[in-house]
Amino acid sequence: MGLESEGDKSSDFNTYNAKAKMDNGREGLRGWLNPTRYGWERVSYWLQRLTGVGLLLYFIGHVYETSSLVNGIDAWNSMLELTQTTGGHIFLMLVIGASTFHTVNGIRLIFTESGLGLGKPGRPDYPYDATSLNYKQKSGIWVALLLAAIAMFYGGLVMFGDAS
Amino acid sequence: MRRTSFKMTLLKLRESQIMKIHYLTGICAVFFVAIHILFRVVMPFGQSLEYQNVIANYHNIYYVVLLELILIFVSIHGFNGLRIILLELKQSDRWESIMTILVLAAMIGIIAYGTRTIIVGSGL
Repeated sequence: MGLESEGDKSSDFNTYNAKAKMDNGREGLRGWLNPTRYGWERVSYWLQRLTGVGLLLYFIGHVYETSSLVNGIDAWNSMLELTQTTGGHIFLMLVIGASTFHTVNGIRLIFTESGLGLGKPGRPDYPYDATSLNYKQKSGIWVALLLAAIAMFYGGLVMFGDAS
Repeated sequence: MRRTSFKMTLLKLRESQIMKIHYLTGICAVFFVAIHILFRVVMPFGQSLEYQNVIANYHNIYYVVLLELILIFVSIHGFNGLRIILLELKQSDRWESIMTILVLAAMIGIIAYGTRTIIVGSGL
């Protein structure tokens, strides 16, 4: 039984190795989008890039929609008719959430890259948890997610007219 | 050899220097975008988007400077972020050079297009 499971493990390892050799060790977009292997840090890595790309697309769209200003009041009002809808407001709430998460998590990453919050280096003992992946880093990610949710809620209140 | 020299002339900055610019533009963009959003919530949101109010904003020289700075900082930060993602997906000198050129071209295009709106809208 023990031998069988060792064999299974070895077979899995060989399959993985062969696959890794085939794509030259690169998983491309599939590897980039896989949030399951490394916990919260991987989720944060993935969300930072996803929100970044989303915000860049929104920025390009925003620059384009604002350019209707130069074509006079009618062009501006027709653009507003497209964006000032319930769907448009929900979309803006997502943009607010994405920008808040990207900002707070980005500040955490600046601190991390400066060496803050990484913990003291120590002897690698079993179960070999990296000291850098500590509760300070994790709580930074949770704070970013929480603030994004609060900002989305407040943005929703402002846009749907219950507060301003 | 030729490719390497081409890359060197294209991008003389070290990646560490580019990352410093990335962080600095990101932090500046946060402050400037916060002011930009404040202009939308000093009055009811819908009212702040009326044509006359937006044009009035564009005739305020400080707001015009703020918009131009947002345009430049967000473009640099956003397109450099896209470059970083693209370079993480695939690594080779040729890919890096092509992506850098494309991203720089897109960045200049967006800054030029947005600047045109700011200039025409403000009546400068």
